[in-house]
Amino acid sequence: MNTLYFDDVTVGQQIAAIDKGTITTTHIMRWSAAIENFHRIHYDQAFATGHDKLPGVLINGSWKQHILIQMIKDGLGPGGWVWKLNFRYKKMDIAGDAVRGTAKVTGKQEAGGLGFVTLTVQLVNQHGEVSTAGTAIGVLPLRGGKEVPYPFVEAPEYASVQMPVDE
Amino acid sequence: MSDSQANYDRYIGMTGEPKVAHMPLERDTLRRFTQAIMDPDPLYHDDQAAAASRFGQVVAPPLYPAHAYRTPAGAADPFEVFSQNPDSDGTAGNEGMLYGLPEIQSPYKRLLNGGNELTFYRALAVGERCVVTPRYADVKLKEGKNGFILLVVVETTFRTEKGEMLLVNRQTLIWR
Repeated sequence: MNTLYFDDVTVGQQIAAIDKGTITTTHIMRWSAAIENFHRIHYDQAFATGHDKLPGVLINGSWKQHILIQMIKDGLGPGGWVWKLNFRYKKMDIAGDAVRGTAKVTGKQEAGGLGFVTLTVQLVNQHGEVSTAGTAIGVLPLRGGKEVPYPFVEAPEYASVQMPVDE
Repeated sequence: MSDSQANYDRYIGMTGEPKVAHMPLERDTLRRFTQAIMDPDPLYHDDQAAAASRFGQVVAPPLYPAHAYRTPAGAADPFEVFSQNPDSDGTAGNEGMLYGLPEIQSPYKRLLNGGNELTFYRALAVGERCVVTPRYADVKLKEGKNGFILLVVVETTFRTEKGEMLLVNRQTLIWR
């Protein structure tokens, strides 16, 4: 993956997308087992629909947040940094739904010798309905500038970089 | 029903004891985690790629620390609950999001997730343990047209054992 520079990003540009395809009960079970969350709404169809009156086995919100982060991380590339992410769940996804996402640039600002891009991010299902939405701030190097520091410790120069208000 | 902010002021700023994860980050745990989120990024498994990166070593995805707290070996099996109640929802043993903070006493029973605000500083590396400190950043009673709602901001700060910041997660819980 090539380094993405702040100079090459434009407001309105879609800088990232992700497509996990159709998520089955098996995907959900693998995630639930990986994090040892045994809540039955995530794998027990009878419990989810009968006991909890849900439309199906739920795709974990805890899983979807990592998909958002993964998308932004990959979009910013190896020289970038996912600094801040605010998000909310808007709609439930159930087994059989597709999970896709996009990230678009809404603003650009230089501070402390680094480039900061504000983003709107969302995950949608196969019908285009938004299940998860938020805003993010990514950090990118300036062409010919310094690398984004790691760890990314907050500095007073970054105080002017503000998260856009969530619509 | 009447209620007042004075019933909740004592929670604001309340901070829990730092909790050290039971286990350091292990490669196989990391493999299962990254396979489950379907992220093939070599930084999560490939020593050479990781060594050449800013991380210098294999690391976990940014928000992994939020899942680092699980039932430790030797603890009572949380599934014992099923012998008493076969209809248990399976959440026994989950750490939840309070990490030892006392639950807020209120008459509100319905819980909605009002969103998360994450700030990332550093990734957890293989072999490192994370330490979480939970805090009630804010507790606000509001009166809406359908009665009271209680907005609770739980701020969990994850650090390395050396005290380096990993991430902060501010989660808003809406009780009504």
